Amino acid sequence: MNGKMKTIAYPAFFCSFLILLSCGVEPKQEHAESGMGQTMSHTVAVAGSAEMAFMPGFRGEVDTVANGFDPMSILTDFDYGRVSTLPDGRTLREYELRAEIKQLEVAPGIMYEAWTYNGRVPAPTLRATEGDRLLIRFVNASPHPHTVHFHTIHPAGMDGVFEPVPPGGSFTYEFDAVPFGVHPYHCHVMPLASHISRGLYGAIIIDPKQGRPKADHEFVMVMSGLDLDFDEANDLYAVNFIPFYYDRHPIKIKTNALVRIYLVNMLEFDQSNSFHLHANFFNYYPTGTFLVAGEYTDTIAQMQAQRGILEFTYTYPGLYMFHAHKTEFAELGWTGLFEVEE
Amino acid sequence: MHTAGIKPEETAGRLRTLAYFLFPVVLLAAVIALFLATDGAGLNVEPAAPIENLVFERIVLINGAIELHIRNTSPETIEIAQAAVKDMIVGFSALPARRVPRLGKAVVTIPYPWVDAEAYEIRLITSNAVVFAAAIEAASETRTFGGTGFLGFTLIGFYVGVIPVFLGMLWFPALRKLGRRAFIWLMALTVGLLLFLGIDAVNEALEVAWELGSPFQGVGLVGIGIVGTALLLDALGKGQSGETGNEEGKRRRIAVMVALGIGLHNLGEGLAIGSAYSVGEAALGTFFVIGFILQNITEGLGIIAPIVKQRPTLRFLAGVGALGGAPAIAGTWIGGFASTPILSTLFLAIGAGAVFEVAYEIGKLLKKGDGKEPMPLTVWSGVMAGMLLMYLTGLLIK
Repeated sequence: MNGKMKTIAYPAFFCSFLILLSCGVEPKQEHAESGMGQTMSHTVAVAGSAEMAFMPGFRGEVDTVANGFDPMSILTDFDYGRVSTLPDGRTLREYELRAEIKQLEVAPGIMYEAWTYNGRVPAPTLRATEGDRLLIRFVNASPHPHTVHFHTIHPAGMDGVFEPVPPGGSFTYEFDAVPFGVHPYHCHVMPLASHISRGLYGAIIIDPKQGRPKADHEFVMVMSGLDLDFDEANDLYAVNFIPFYYDRHPIKIKTNALVRIYLVNMLEFDQSNSFHLHANFFNYYPTGTFLVAGEYTDTIAQMQAQRGILEFTYTYPGLYMFHAHKTEFAELGWTGLFEVEE
Repeated sequence: MHTAGIKPEETAGRLRTLAYFLFPVVLLAAVIALFLATDGAGLNVEPAAPIENLVFERIVLINGAIELHIRNTSPETIEIAQAAVKDMIVGFSALPARRVPRLGKAVVTIPYPWVDAEAYEIRLITSNAVVFAAAIEAASETRTFGGTGFLGFTLIGFYVGVIPVFLGMLWFPALRKLGRRAFIWLMALTVGLLLFLGIDAVNEALEVAWELGSPFQGVGLVGIGIVGTALLLDALGKGQSGETGNEEGKRRRIAVMVALGIGLHNLGEGLAIGSAYSVGEAALGTFFVIGFILQNITEGLGIIAPIVKQRPTLRFLAGVGALGGAPAIAGTWIGGFASTPILSTLFLAIGAGAVFEVAYEIGKLLKKGDGKEPMPLTVWSGVMAGMLLMYLTGLLIK
């Protein structure tokens, strides 16, 4: 090349390089939205439109069929166990819990490797009556050691702390159902925060011998968070694991019907959680261990593993929110609706 | 080259040469095929978790919405599943799609009632549950092309580029009264100014370069920009000097080269200012612009220094002034309306390469003058004065 050619070739090379960079690699036009999140038309219309109420929440749906469980049925799904009578006349209840890893769609379009009891989060709500003999057979079908630690009164050897169950192993927890109330259970293998936040938690309800006043609706609600990227901070929050589920699918109740909620906080990483009911007050029974309400309020706070029973009735029909009154949690998923009908 | 009369044995010889060239290439293909066939030599190369990277190239704030220009710099296609602003899950649209192929781009639009001057953290969550965060330090409406935005950017470019360069050139009559030693000192001062500008530009280029995704090899890009520009300017300078060799013409050419170098540098500077303005960062202080004006006055000085002993026409002076200052306007346009981190990196590196090359040219001139009567301390103090001048005026900007 002579000098002149060089002076032409060099800038030419440079310009083409610049053009290449500024264009980048254009992705192909893709219209397949694969049913996740909101559709194009929604958001395009939304930009700058006053009609858009800036409400938080997903526009998509999680695949509850693929997940294998539906948060709506988890609300009222109580596992009373296999019931038989012991020689001394007491009731024996036998349950099965199986630790397994499961890929779950935790929010529309987001897959997460959850650690579960029986393939669902929260785990089965075990239910018994005060004084029953409980026999809980635990099988570990996951590649990590796990246990089940119940927040009840039981012998040291049944505490799910010192007897980690190796992968493929099993263990049977055996103890009496005391005291009555609502209690959490969870895996107690280190590192605890990971084992819990991955999904190994649930509730056990022990009904008092004399029972509670008959309720028209009984729901179990376990509050938790999702640390998607494992940085010890929750990215999403939920009641019964799937963020915004009851916001998209309001829980239907009747006017003047007694609603009883068994509320458990299993939130990791954050200091505390809360429950706020809109346009109403509720009787709150801390831990459910007394039959007399401890408080008449519309907002309560719970630390990790704290729990309680809420009782209320709605007089007027309509849509009512319930959510964590820590707005960050509420706007990141811990929001639901009651649809009160006549 | 002579192509006439190729003999058959010559053709055979060429074919053999070609075969020699191709032989390792064929072997290479075979080795790669073997590696793939044996599942990566038996090593399990599947990552434990999906490797996902995403770069926020540009954030645009428009009325009632936030627009994120993202680029996928990970090995695989990624899919944006959810978005959150300030710890709130929000709806969004992605164009052309939520699925972004490797090195592909997408524009994510989030309807959101953002408020002036507030800080925002925006998170995008991919389908593999990987979270990416972008921050807006102080929200303000992004200037859009056309209308007042365009005029505003032109004015900023004019203020930081054109005006100071011409103001600096107004020292021309004063400088003409200087003696030889003072003139050498002035040239050395120019070298100091340019070296400082170059170092500063390299630093800025690298800062942006670190933020590029790894496939774009930001530091390598900076190298290409610096080396390419410096060698190109050198080649252009040499190509001309072969034609007209007199001293006056040479000095004029050097003045033009200084102006071109400074112009390229101002283009990068304008780009930086433009993109800072467009994302609202520069709204943190107009002091910033005042600082640039002060600093860039010295650039005008640098342009006229080589020709101070001559009688350039006004047209020539206007030309070199425009060459040095006006690119700042173009820079603010690009930065304000179309900048990407890749372009910013490249332009800043080009500016650095340009000022280094020009400093080298003036250095050669100084060395030539040195032959008659060496003044090492004059040169040293001139260069230092130039660098310190930039440092002190820089205090106002940084």
